Amino acid sequence: MFTEALLIALWAGIAGIDQFNGLTHLHRPIVTGMVVGLILGDFQTGLIAGATLELVWMGMVPLAGAQPPNVVIGGIMGTAFAILLDQDPKVAVSIAVPFAVAVQGAITLLFTVYSPVMHKMDRYAERSNDRAIDWLNLSGMGVLFIFNTIIAFLPIYYGVEAASSLVESLPSWLMEGLSVAGGMMPAIGFAMLLTVMLKKQYTAFLIAGFAIVTYSDISLLGLAILALAFALYDFYQRETPFAKEEKTSGI
Amino acid sequence: MAFEEQTNTRTANADQPEKRLSRTDLMRMAVRSFFLQSSFNYERMQAGGWLYSLMPALKKIYRKREELSDAMKRHLDFFNTHPFLVTPILGIVAAMEESREKPDAIRGIKVGMMGPLGGVGDAVAWLTLLPITAGIGASIAMEGSLAGPIVFLLTFNAIHLMLRFGGIFYGYNTGVKALQKLKSGTQAISRAASIVGLTVVGGMIASYVKLSTPAKIPIGKESFEIQKELLDKVMPNLLPLTYTLLIFFLLKKGYSPLKLIGITVLIGVAGKYFGVL
Repeated sequence: MFTEALLIALWAGIAGIDQFNGLTHLHRPIVTGMVVGLILGDFQTGLIAGATLELVWMGMVPLAGAQPPNVVIGGIMGTAFAILLDQDPKVAVSIAVPFAVAVQGAITLLFTVYSPVMHKMDRYAERSNDRAIDWLNLSGMGVLFIFNTIIAFLPIYYGVEAASSLVESLPSWLMEGLSVAGGMMPAIGFAMLLTVMLKKQYTAFLIAGFAIVTYSDISLLGLAILALAFALYDFYQRETPFAKEEKTSGI
Repeated sequence: MAFEEQTNTRTANADQPEKRLSRTDLMRMAVRSFFLQSSFNYERMQAGGWLYSLMPALKKIYRKREELSDAMKRHLDFFNTHPFLVTPILGIVAAMEESREKPDAIRGIKVGMMGPLGGVGDAVAWLTLLPITAGIGASIAMEGSLAGPIVFLLTFNAIHLMLRFGGIFYGYNTGVKALQKLKSGTQAISRAASIVGLTVVGGMIASYVKLSTPAKIPIGKESFEIQKELLDKVMPNLLPLTYTLLIFFLLKKGYSPLKLIGITVLIGVAGKYFGVL
């Protein structure tokens, strides 16, 4: 079992990288299920379980940065459990989902503790050290690989029961709380943008953008087109003074 | 002084007008864009990967050390968009850097594009391309055929790569053309870009920051749901707006983003524990 668990773990590591980098989507259950089937010597079941889990995860995609139950661990665990426990994939998925939800919470934590990297990058930018920035950026993939490898290895090697009782012992408020925090997190990014972009004369547009989206069904693309209209109006209102400036400065 | 410096760089550029970004530079940027999310984190999201992807252009455009370092610092601002549609933004921003537009204008365009393209990308890639290709693949795989996963990977990535590599050239060429037409000067461009950028930031606060309360106040047999019956009636996104503004003021007071991230995690977990979030 050690070899199989290790191979599945390594595959989970690769799929975990692909989930955020490369995005060839070999991390989707339809592909990972087949590979897990191959490793466990039951290609056919793996393929079918993968396809079933693919349909389960069909609507669960990372919209606007919110993390759905982890598709990599969900797909790989689900298929592995279906084969190892000789279960119907639909039953296996109910064992896999708690893992996928716990991993989602863990990923929120991972992205939180990875924040200090930005301050290191600031310092490298100060010295225009692009090599260091390259490596620091790519290092995140190593973290993802190790993270997914360990998480996939443990339940398969030590047994499903032991692993699920461990996951079930995690308090639900902790996992759900982390996902609430994940939903609030973009506020920090936007606030940081405001500290560099917001000037008094532009406050009106910030309010307008917020109000339009809050009180209507407009998409962000629609809003951007509207914003373009604001900018064009402003541009032609001011065209004359700008043209004068140009002439006097002699460019 | 500032004016003199600017005219100097302009004449320096005029001496070597053909030193443009090459096809290879743009290709390298598109390849690097596969690693846009390598250092993803909640403080600035894709900022590290954005700088990483833009680096080939910056290195070619800014030969002086201080200039390069300035540009690198500017491009470590918060950034987040759809990973497939980042290349048109990279292309346009590269074109703007090449013609030495003002930092404010570049920032405005970047921010003005990242929100809408994020939304468009979600709709195109996650809600259309993925369900269709994966649905077809899964229906074949259900029959126990190896063709299922293969068909999925091939069709999905054909469109994925087209978007990524097509996007960089489309963005760059559009940017270059637009900048040639806009002769009215950088001041007007940066003003327009700020207007678009801030309008979109306002919209993004309303649509991307997720915060609501399930808390209820019991009144006899009935209960009063604070979110549905009070907040949503006054202003639906009141909580996201309040939280964003709170963070904004704390940042201005000198709180570090890192500390605010920690506080956010605590609020989320504690809020869930006490049943108010």
